[in-house]
Amino acid sequence: MANILIVDDSSTMRKIISRSLRQAGLPVDEIYEAGDGIEGLGVLASGKLVQLILSDINMPNMDGLEFVKAVRASGNSTPIVMITTEGGEEIIAEAMSSGASDSIKKPFTPDQLQEKLGKLL
Amino acid sequence: MSLNADIAESTRFTEELLAGYVIDATQQVFSTMVMMEPKDEFPLREPVSRFKCSITGMVGFAGTYSGVISIHCPVSLALIITSSMLGLECDEVNDDLNDAIGEIANMLGGSVKQVLSKGGLDVKLSIPTVISGEDYTVNSLSDSDCVVIPFVVVGQKFLVGLTLKKGD
Repeated sequence: MANILIVDDSSTMRKIISRSLRQAGLPVDEIYEAGDGIEGLGVLASGKLVQLILSDINMPNMDGLEFVKAVRASGNSTPIVMITTEGGEEIIAEAMSSGASDSIKKPFTPDQLQEKLGKLL
Repeated sequence: MSLNADIAESTRFTEELLAGYVIDATQQVFSTMVMMEPKDEFPLREPVSRFKCSITGMVGFAGTYSGVISIHCPVSLALIITSSMLGLECDEVNDDLNDAIGEIANMLGGSVKQVLSKGGLDVKLSIPTVISGEDYTVNSLSDSDCVVIPFVVVGQKFLVGLTLKKGD
């Protein structure tokens, strides 16, 4: 079972992702939530054990690209999957070169979560 | 309301084609995230700028193209949409309702952005803005560059509008 951190400024989207993870039958234990990259870094710095991070890109305060760079700069190698409306090739390439493991385009289905995340859990 | 000829030329899209992208994006967002299947009633017969007991979610574009994509719906329908999205009963205008309508606008913006910008770096999306009220108007300063698509779901109507302008 895995602990997952969801970083998204939309509380609605955090709830939908949480529900979809369980609907997809993924081995999920604890789900932690953060409203932007700064909060996400705070969760990681608090010492909570996280096996997978799901992050939006377009967020206030600290966006998903900055968040990925900051996580990697801290030496944390936890897989990060971008779940975002930002499906452009260049943005996804930038996220991947910054250290993201994969990306999922919103809107998504539980099957798409299963396909992308199942191999990481 | 129709798409300005310059915009149509610069985007290489006719009004009907762009409307088709907005319709596809709206139906995809609703079917996968809201669990509803809205039917479009394009074209819009009468321009609409005044809304009563409604909620509007908007996301702006900036860069190669600038503009706004917006969703306008009666509060009564927004409550049904939010309840369906969250799997929880939502019976008042609150943060959940505002966030859900804003997130729908955000996903619509992302889908349209993908059509306008394959790479994604030359067009930026804003954070969603949501307004609601008993009686308000929404006006575009360049309303001729606008496509508005009416939809019907669970017997109620909502609108999705797209205003576009070629960047400087």
